[in-house]
This record gives sequence, structure tokens and C-alpha cells, in this order.
Amino acid sequence: MAAETGSGRSLSLSSPGRWIESLSDTQFAYLLLTPCLVLFGVIAFWPLLRTFEMSLHADLLYGAERIGPFVGFENYVELLTGERNAALPRPFFDSTQIFTSALTVTIIFTVVSVFFETVLGFGQALILNQEFRGRRWARVAIILPWAVPIVIQGMIFFLLFQPTIGFLVEPLQQLGVFSSTPQANSVESLVIVIVADVWKTSAFMALIILAGLQSIDRSLYDVADVAGASKFERFRTITLPLVLSSVLVAMLFRTIGAMRVFGLIETVSSCSTVPSLSCLVVQAFSSSRYASAATVAFVTAAIIGLVVSVYIVKFADVQGAGGF
Amino acid sequence: MPPETQGQPTTATEGDDKNFVQRWASGSISNPERTYRILFYIVAISFLVTTLFPFYWLTVVALTPQGDLTNVGLLPNGFNPSAFVEVFTTVPFHIYMLNSLIVGLLTTALVLLLASLAGYAFGRFEFPGRTPLMLIFLAISYFPPAAFLLPLFELFTANITFFTLPGGTEVASPMLFNGPGALVLPYSALFLPLSIFILTTFYSQIPDGLEDAARVEGNTRLGALFKIIMPLSAPGVATAGVLTFIAVYNEYFFAFLMTDGRVQNWGTIVWGLLSYQGRFQTSYNLMAAASLVGVIPIAILVVIAQEKIVSGLTAGGLKE
Repeated sequence: MAAETGSGRSLSLSSPGRWIESLSDTQFAYLLLTPCLVLFGVIAFWPLLRTFEMSLHADLLYGAERIGPFVGFENYVELLTGERNAALPRPFFDSTQIFTSALTVTIIFTVVSVFFETVLGFGQALILNQEFRGRRWARVAIILPWAVPIVIQGMIFFLLFQPTIGFLVEPLQQLGVFSSTPQANSVESLVIVIVADVWKTSAFMALIILAGLQSIDRSLYDVADVAGASKFERFRTITLPLVLSSVLVAMLFRTIGAMRVFGLIETVSSCSTVPSLSCLVVQAFSSSRYASAATVAFVTAAIIGLVVSVYIVKFADVQGAGGF
Repeated sequence: MPPETQGQPTTATEGDDKNFVQRWASGSISNPERTYRILFYIVAISFLVTTLFPFYWLTVVALTPQGDLTNVGLLPNGFNPSAFVEVFTTVPFHIYMLNSLIVGLLTTALVLLLASLAGYAFGRFEFPGRTPLMLIFLAISYFPPAAFLLPLFELFTANITFFTLPGGTEVASPMLFNGPGALVLPYSALFLPLSIFILTTFYSQIPDGLEDAARVEGNTRLGALFKIIMPLSAPGVATAGVLTFIAVYNEYFFAFLMTDGRVQNWGTIVWGLLSYQGRFQTSYNLMAAASLVGVIPIAILVVIAQEKIVSGLTAGGLKE
């Protein structure tokens, strides 16, 4: 059966088949990559170039055209100096309103959530690295939040902190931590969004750190035991240095993810209460300021690129110093 | 293990003249292993409680009748399982979920096809431009979705003549907005890099001898790829498929912006859940019930494919 269809195919496809056989390895590799290159070309590279081009034009709020005349880097200059703030739904950066400017909100969200995710993810990884009964189910329970759709994650924390039904708001309010309507308050909503993000994505950190832990040579621990090291010393001198590169990789991925935050904010609170950079792009886009939206999108990409290169330099340091 | 079980009876018998804390302290000094074990279980259980509690609480809210929703505690105020039926009658949530599943499966199929070809090329051949191309592909996944949004929106709403054929005819982009294509195409581009890297690793681990043997037996290049190499990389394909599907089912940004949210226009669970938030202001129990229903497919997948998820994430994460 298989042989029949095989010979049938080679007969009907004989000329393209022969053409493929006649290609060099390089030509064949590029032939295999062609579908990917076409998809990336149309859906990724072209949109990036077009976004960049749009960002070099002026906003045009009325008329058939979407963007106005070419203005060079004026959008970037105005955005970074703060002159554009008034035209945007929320300022890009304004030192007098840290919790409602897109840049600072995104940075606070990223730094705080990635910090807690690293600490908790490390803890979860250390737990999952032990042998115990029911480890398989513990792993399912820890992975599950990571797989939960963003909109459901948002819905969970929207309901948990909904003043009329959630049991959390009243005690927190009595303690003086929260106001009676946390979902309308920028600082409090930011805290809720951070808690929600930590709940969902600590597991991602845990899995990557766990892989690092499991690649550590067990005999190193035997040596430490012979030398009489305590559990804490073993952790500090063996585990921590050897797992550091996995921790950095996990932090890099989470940082990139956190800097794009949008859906979680939109579900738990709203983009005007907690304006992240992605929120600002969408808001400018919905108010027909296409060129401004494109500029913010490109500045966001540039900031992410900057963060990625900082991590890569740091990563090279760790790898070099570790001698591995 | 034996020292642990011996430790407990001794601390229990000397208990009369000491209080609990002293007993615990002396026990833990004489037997630190046991203390570590207890601490380990405390930390492990607290992690499990914090990750699973939100699901329990969703169940509590879902089961509470709508009229008794003020100040729900840790137990439901009443018992109203019919919320799990109302979820489908007030909003066609099953169709929103079906849309999500179809978009997820279409994207996964497209990604696996393209990533298999690209992973094979990267994993089995050394060719000029290989490393720069891999880095460029990887860079795509670093860009925020917002950077692709505006042109893709124009493209999918048929507002762009994006190719001029050699004859001079202009080809306008097709109207994909409100259709599955407007979601499947951006998702494929966004999630393809991870699958390419997972499959590159798998293909590069297949011994050269197998492929040579297949070629000697008279298979063509493509024959060797589809009949010998692809079946061998099935675990990698499964891993990439599971991760892609979860990523699509998770996604919010394009799901929110590339349809108008109506169920017949390929609105996904994002819009399904948000429609409880908008139109039915007080139906918190339905939001909770719909959230639980929406988690079911992904929970099943996590239980079945947890090994694949772990290996895929770690392969993707440690590759670079």
C-alpha cells in the first residue's frame, strides 16, 4: 500500500522530483525555508517596515488618508521630550504622574512582577526537583496557571477584587491597604495586575529553572557532603552558581513578555487606569492617531531590544565567569 | 528515610514536661533532616494552595445563586449548578470556544508544517546564511504584537494594494478581518519561531546514517524527509504542537483586535468572556462558570501532555 502510493507519487511528480534531486544542499535548504520566509515576509517583516514608515509621518485625524505628510523623526522627538503627551490618551512619560504614564507603568509592572516570579519560580523549581509522592500531580498543579488563557486569568482577578462579591477587598480596605474601588484606582489596579501576573507565570520560570537544576552533576553534591557542607552551603556554592544562567534565560523571556502586557490589564481594570505601552498603542490607534501609535509601538520594540541586549551581555558574563 | 521514622517516637515519649515548641525545637536540633522535610511540605502545600485556590473560588462564585452574590465567602451562598447551563443560553459560549479551538488547530497545523520544513533545513544542513537567518527568525518573537498591529489591520481590512504584479495589475489584499485568517496568520508568524527551534533541535539529533540509508534504498530527498525523518521526530512535533495550541488558546491581543467580537465573526473566548462583563453587568456567577468551562480543554491538555510541555519549554528556553 505504502509502496504503491510512493511509486505513484514519484511517477506523477517525476520532473519536480528530479529537479529537487538536482539541487545543491544550500538550494534545497532555502527551498524548505521558502514557505517560512514568505509568511514572515508578509506577516512580520513588511508590517514592521510599514509601522516604521508610518511613524515618520504626521497624524491625520480627518480625511480619507490615514497618515499625513512625512515629518522625519519629529514624532519620536516629541514623544520622548513629552510634547506629545497632551495629544495622547495617557502620557508616554510624565514625572508628575508616574502611575498613569505608559513608560513608568510598564517598567514598574515588569520589574516588580519579574522579581516576584523569579523568587517564587525558584522556590517552585526547588520543590519540583525533590522526590516525593504525587510529584506528577504537583507539577500539573503548578503548570496549570501558566496554561490558563489570559482573559480567564484576568477574569479570576477581576472577580477576586470586585468590591461587591470578592471577599478580599473589605479586609484589605479595613487594613488601609486598598480603597473601596481598587479597580478604578491606578496604583491599586497595578498591584492587582502584578499579583495576577505572578500567579500565572511563576510556573514558566519554575520549569526553565527546574531544567537548569536537573542538569547539575549529582556528584558535586556528594563531594560537598564529604566536605561536611550544610544544606545552605550546598545551595550557595553549588546550586546557585550553576543554575544562574537558566535563571537569566527565564528572566529574559518573562521580561519580554511583561513589557508587552495588554490583555490582563484590559480584563482586570482598564487601559486608561493602568496604561501600559501596548495599551497606549491600541488607544492611539482607536483614536485614529495612527502615526503616534506606530511611534509608540516602535519605541516599545526598541526598549525591549535594549533590555534583551542587556540580558545577553549579562548572560555572556555569567557563562564566561562560570567557565562552562 | 529510617532516621526520620525513628525521630518521631522519641520526641513523643519525652513530651510530658516540655511544651510543644520546646519539643519541636529539641527534635529539630537532634534531627535536622526531619525539620527540612516538614518545611518542605509546608512550602510545597502553600504553593499548591495559592495556584489552585483561584479555581476553587471560581467554583464557589459559579455555584452561588445570582441574588446572593454579595460578599461570597469561602463556601457558596446556596447551590445553583444551573449557572453552568445558563452560561451557554445567555451567550453562545460553546461557539466562542469552538472558534478558539478551530483557530488553535488551524494555526497548529500551519505552524507544524512550516516549522518541520524550516527545522529540517536548519537541523540537517550547514548552509551560508544559516545562523543570521535563525537569529532574524528569533528576533521576530521579541517584537511586541503592537508593532505589527497597524499594517496588519490595514492589510486584513482590504485597505492595501500590497503587490504589483509584473504585468502592472495591482492586487488588493483580501478581506480577512472577522475571519479565521486574520487570527491564524499573525499567530503563525508569532509562534513559528519557538516551534522552529524545538524542531531544529530534534532534527539535528537524528543520526546521519539513517538518512543516508534511506537515500541508498532509492528514496528521493522529500521521500526521506517524509518517510524516515519526520516519523522519527514525532515527539518533537507533538511538543511543538502542544505549545503552539496552548499559546493560541491563551492569546489576547490579536483575538481582541482582529475581529469585531461577534460570535459569527470568529470571536474567540476572549470576546465570549468579555460579553458577560459588558451586557450582563451583574452576572458574576456566569463569568465564573464560563471561566471554568473555558479552562477545561487546556486543563485536559496539561494533564495529558505535561511531559511534552516541560521538555518543549526547556528546549526552547535553553536553546539560545
